[in-house]
Amino acid sequence: MKSLDPRVNRLPQITGEKNKKPLDQFGTYEVFVQPKEGKPFQHEGALHAPNLEMAYVLAKEAFTRRFTCSSVFVVNTSDVFTSPTTDGHENVYNQIDDVKDGSGKIEYEIYQLLKRGKQHQLAGTVVAGSPAGALAKAKSLFRSDKIVYNVWAIEKNKIRFTADEEKDLWHTLPEKKFRDASDYKGGDKLKEFLERHKI
Amino acid sequence: MYGGGNTFEGIKTDSLASEDPVQMAAFEARIARGEKIEPTDWMPQLYRKQLIRMIEQHAHSEIIGALPEGTWITRAPGFKRKMALMAKVQDEVGHAQLLYSAAETLGKPREQMIDDLINGKSKYSNVFNYPTFTWADCCFISWLVDAGAIVNQLANAKGSYGPYCRALDRICAEESFHLKYGHHCVIYLASGTQNQRDLFQEALNRWWPPMMHFFGPSDKISAHTEILMRWKVKMGTNDDMRNQFLDMYVPKIWELGFTIPDPLLKKNPETGTWEYTEPDWEEFKRVINGDGPCNKERLQVRRIAEERGRWVREALKAPQDKYVMPLA
Repeated sequence: MKSLDPRVNRLPQITGEKNKKPLDQFGTYEVFVQPKEGKPFQHEGALHAPNLEMAYVLAKEAFTRRFTCSSVFVVNTSDVFTSPTTDGHENVYNQIDDVKDGSGKIEYEIYQLLKRGKQHQLAGTVVAGSPAGALAKAKSLFRSDKIVYNVWAIEKNKIRFTADEEKDLWHTLPEKKFRDASDYKGGDKLKEFLERHKI
Repeated sequence: MYGGGNTFEGIKTDSLASEDPVQMAAFEARIARGEKIEPTDWMPQLYRKQLIRMIEQHAHSEIIGALPEGTWITRAPGFKRKMALMAKVQDEVGHAQLLYSAAETLGKPREQMIDDLINGKSKYSNVFNYPTFTWADCCFISWLVDAGAIVNQLANAKGSYGPYCRALDRICAEESFHLKYGHHCVIYLASGTQNQRDLFQEALNRWWPPMMHFFGPSDKISAHTEILMRWKVKMGTNDDMRNQFLDMYVPKIWELGFTIPDPLLKKNPETGTWEYTEPDWEEFKRVINGDGPCNKERLQVRRIAEERGRWVREALKAPQDKYVMPLA
């Protein structure tokens, strides 16, 4: 291989096809972002990572570099307990059974999907003994006339939250130029150029 | 694809006939109402297949697209440009990750997509099979290739698949940075010395043909295209996209006093569409099938990166983890 880039030319050559085994890959993690202080967290997407802490670091890089963001958290996809999804004719809470799970003292965060095509948003926290119990609690607390399409219950202590002292990550310093697209002020230079070349 | 000229697989008509007609009617009605399709919804196999293919090609294009620009990071003129280019290249790789996750909700694991890329099974945007000889080539990509990508992605963001649209919303916002940055770079070259102007003019001459290829050949409006458009998988014809790009950017290139290397290029005032020399589609096909100036290098670089990163992945892997599909 001959490249224009000398560093590419210096790369060690590899031989043979070495495919990975199928599904030889990291687990998936769900990413939730709080766009502004005081706003509810919402689901943003998923990513792959070897563990929760790395997932947090990668989430910061992939989801919060360019947008206003005050906090982010990640959780392993398999730690998200999901309800069925309704097609919109019925509130999903109607399909959730009342579960008595005794004196469980586990905290769950409840996320609701209120509109098709949008993201799940935080509804609140419940205390229950199991994820199914958490959905039942959510039903008694958050059910209203408004249609809910889908609910998630996430055990709080499985979540990697952003600690208060980490929030500086997103505080843009005033001297950091070129953080906004509008900071690229090509306009003046262009105007000056066009003036010079007026026919 | 990052850009356009998505290659869709030919339709097997019997695959549609075997779908449940009631489900199919509800699916089509949902799209017609302007609602998004979500991973948990029923969808025809053909829809799933074509979307995986499209999103995957887009993701690969972001990954491979980082290479021709990435090679200029160390040689970008000045600290500011190095910082900006580094951030841009990181953005592109991040886009690929967002897109892989979106495609994954349709049932194809990310690693399988990456394997298909490095084994040459999946395609990516043809434009990245060309070399960046000078800094001006890099500026051309940052401004005009990204501009082409935005034209395409803004259209696709109005498509029907929820996770893809949400990923594209984020991506388009970042691409608008890249566009401003690229334009900024080109204005600096344009308003600089004669040498700098020549540098960009030469880059423009080199890159114009691949740029015209970028949106793909004219679509034959077949039953297949018609279905993909009805399902809001494909949001406009390749010619529409190319025309929109020319409409927006040719005046901006001319404004800077550069010459586009196509004597026939002009806007027809009556039809409002652009006329141009028909791009060399034989070359397009040749390059997309692996015989471009940089195809081998691009894939080889990916393969080496994959191979050299293997020990890291092995060391970090938690064998007790079971693979689960991401949620949305």
